[in-house]
Amino acid sequence: MKKYALKIEEKECWGCKACEVACKQENKSKDGINRIRIHEEWGKKKDGSQDFIFRANICRHCDNPPCVDACPVEAIKKREDGIVILYEDECTGCGTCIDTCPYNAIYFSDEEGKAKKCNMCFERIDNGLIPACADDICLAHCIYFGDARKIDNMIKEKFWLKARIEGKLSTAVITIDE
Amino acid sequence: MGEFKYSNVEREMKMYGFDRMVKSTCRGCHGGCGVYVYVKDGKVAKIQGDPDHPINHGTLCSKGLAAAEIAYHPDRLLYPVKRIGPKGSGKWERISWDEALDIIADRINDYKVKFGPESIVFGYGTGRENEAVIYRIANLLGSPNVLTAGHFCYGPRICTSIITCGTNPIIDYENSPQCIMMWGNNVTISNPDCYKGEPFSVALSRGAKLIVVDPRLTRPAARADIWLQLRPGTDAALALGMLNVIVNEKLYDKEFVENYTFGWEEFVKRVNEYPLEKVEEITWVPKEKIQDAARLFAKTKPAAIQWGVAIEQQINCADNDRLLMFLMGITGNIDAQGGQVLYKTPPIVNVGQFGAHSMLPREQMAKRLGGDMFRLASRFAIINPKAVWDAILYEKPYPVKMLFFISSNPLITRDNAKEVYKALEKVDFMAVADFFITPTAELADIVLPAATWLEMDYIGDFWKRHGYILARRKVVEIGECRSDHEMLNDLAHRIGQGEFWWDSFEGGLDAILEPMGIKWKDFKEMDYVRGEVKYKKYKEFGFSTPTRKFELYSTTLEKMGYDPLPQHREVPESPVNTPELYKEYPYILITGARQPGFFHTENRQVKWLRELHKDPVVQIHPDTAAKEGIKEGDWVVIESPRGKIKQKAVLFPGIDPRVVAAQHGWWFPEKKESNHGWDESNVNVLTDNAYEGCDPAIGATNIRALLCKIYPYRDGGIKS
Repeated sequence: MKKYALKIEEKECWGCKACEVACKQENKSKDGINRIRIHEEWGKKKDGSQDFIFRANICRHCDNPPCVDACPVEAIKKREDGIVILYEDECTGCGTCIDTCPYNAIYFSDEEGKAKKCNMCFERIDNGLIPACADDICLAHCIYFGDARKIDNMIKEKFWLKARIEGKLSTAVITIDE
Repeated sequence: MGEFKYSNVEREMKMYGFDRMVKSTCRGCHGGCGVYVYVKDGKVAKIQGDPDHPINHGTLCSKGLAAAEIAYHPDRLLYPVKRIGPKGSGKWERISWDEALDIIADRINDYKVKFGPESIVFGYGTGRENEAVIYRIANLLGSPNVLTAGHFCYGPRICTSIITCGTNPIIDYENSPQCIMMWGNNVTISNPDCYKGEPFSVALSRGAKLIVVDPRLTRPAARADIWLQLRPGTDAALALGMLNVIVNEKLYDKEFVENYTFGWEEFVKRVNEYPLEKVEEITWVPKEKIQDAARLFAKTKPAAIQWGVAIEQQINCADNDRLLMFLMGITGNIDAQGGQVLYKTPPIVNVGQFGAHSMLPREQMAKRLGGDMFRLASRFAIINPKAVWDAILYEKPYPVKMLFFISSNPLITRDNAKEVYKALEKVDFMAVADFFITPTAELADIVLPAATWLEMDYIGDFWKRHGYILARRKVVEIGECRSDHEMLNDLAHRIGQGEFWWDSFEGGLDAILEPMGIKWKDFKEMDYVRGEVKYKKYKEFGFSTPTRKFELYSTTLEKMGYDPLPQHREVPESPVNTPELYKEYPYILITGARQPGFFHTENRQVKWLRELHKDPVVQIHPDTAAKEGIKEGDWVVIESPRGKIKQKAVLFPGIDPRVVAAQHGWWFPEKKESNHGWDESNVNVLTDNAYEGCDPAIGATNIRALLCKIYPYRDGGIKS
């Protein structure tokens, strides 16, 4: 069975936030609703000096998603391909899912009275398209989409780098095993 | 459906029912990124990067992605307007293009006769691919005065590189530099002319070493092998210190130095005036770190310096640029594969030729404002803004009566904003062309609706030095908006320049391409053309300088009466230079760190982008904040001897406690009164523009390092 995953290699993120805007362009999300969010996290290097990294907050499409169980109207479902989808048409806006998400990756739109989260652009995926944020807009090429069982390898091998060097980004094929 | 590929046009078209896709070139900043623009029902519906494009390789920043939000913004100016109330009243009346251009043409003809063409100043802001037409109309009119950002942005890189090695050396990222020194720049956020972040990022992924010179801990600084956190404004001393190490440890390229440089002995003498103990004292950077960085840079081949504007908005502007070129040069990285290449543009009419500089009569050139003072600037048709404000306010050396700003918002972007305001308020007549009625435009008599890049045909990047020209194809028409090129082509006919222009600007594009033997309609079918790439051309031809050598000792500057060797000048307002003032203003203020989504004063009305930064922010070290009673998120007052503004505090551990960093470019499109709050958070209310603080050769204003005090804001019900 095919399984999709979207993963962000945070140590390579430059904090340019293009992914946030690509997501807006795709989902036309209202002001204040960012299904993907980039923020700074401060820490110290081994030598005690200041350090920081950009973190991306986005739905993890959990194996056992607590939001699915929490939703009283079953508006959130996990598909067999791994994608956790919040069907906004069915959402009543009770907000229960927001409290159960361990990653704070579900947001509430006051304007629409509905919960919002990353649905991994499932309609794009169903039409053979890569989710908007992962569709090569990232200047660090650090947003990976692919086969859930192979995505860590994709990251390790930087499969895009070969395509980039060969000038074949537009033809680099990401295969998801059926 | 188990296979996916990037930017799959066919499937995009099918899924969303787009009517067509147009390949073009973005100009959300200086331009350059290849894009796919999808259109539905006659409107731009989606923008994505072109994966086959040599500049951006499919990636695209927030500005490019939001371009349609700018183009279709409800506040966008869609037709020409004439002011009917007092300046700044916000009262406008719609007029036709004919009426607007006739009013402007009448004014030009009138001032030309009464006060001379030099009384008419054209202006643009940063490079937006309109510079060639603006210089053309000004030069043909006989006005030597085009006010740009060229005195302190990119112009200095062009001038100093021309006098040092013939042209601007650009990093050869595609051949993987093994060591990158990023100096006063963060190419992953900003878009310094000729560069994008993607190739830099790829070079790091391919294993390049990284040295970062920056007073703030940027993400590249956090990832760097060596981070040099210098005292703001001491770049020249730091570079001289690194050169000192490279010279005295003999880490330079001996063959290059012996055969291809001019003035080595004098240069070595100058470098020896900067021993590392002295450099450490000036720059706050420990000498061991300077040594480590100099050695890493000089010993790793090929190596390159990723630079940008920060080193230019300083009193040491021209010398900073030259010193970084010297670092590239004596280590053998100039025109070297994977180093910094003197690229050749395809054979076209270049921006200087198209700008008709040779048509400006000599006696008019001699009248260039500030030309006696800033002689290197004047040679390259660049003027210092204060010279224009003084000519308006005091009519010295002659009166300036008319301003025509095209894609420029100097009330926010130019130093000493209160003086700028006085000049714009006083000037007899001002026209502005822009997307929105900006704080500058609010003071104009006529405002013209400018086209965005989605609404024009143009030869993108033909003014840059990376060797590519790119096709920008018109996708849509919106309102009555016109490209700057079409607008000036029309105006030129109305002021008697018709014989030098064309029926429509397509003729101008044909003229630019003429040496290649093609026309615009041919180029439009191509995506880009690249000039011939050759390395180490100097071995055959020498460098295009007066001595045919790489000039460490500048014969051009010497002739102009300047020090031919680079030096460190102390920051005009600093703990060292003005210790008394430092007691009252106890922090060094740095300004202008770039924010993703904004481009100088642009895009603050675009929701997707404003959301990334709602308020203007000043970064303060937590210790400093505690000392001044400031908490995260407080509005704080930043005060300099020129004035005060407020910005919101962010506690930022990546900055020296003696330094605070304020953002630039802020105005509030949503505030319909008080001219959009132009002076509330505008950092240029604080900056100084006195001539003596400017770079003596190029006239760069020192806006990147000054003194300030900072304290909680307590008025007006805003949280204190």
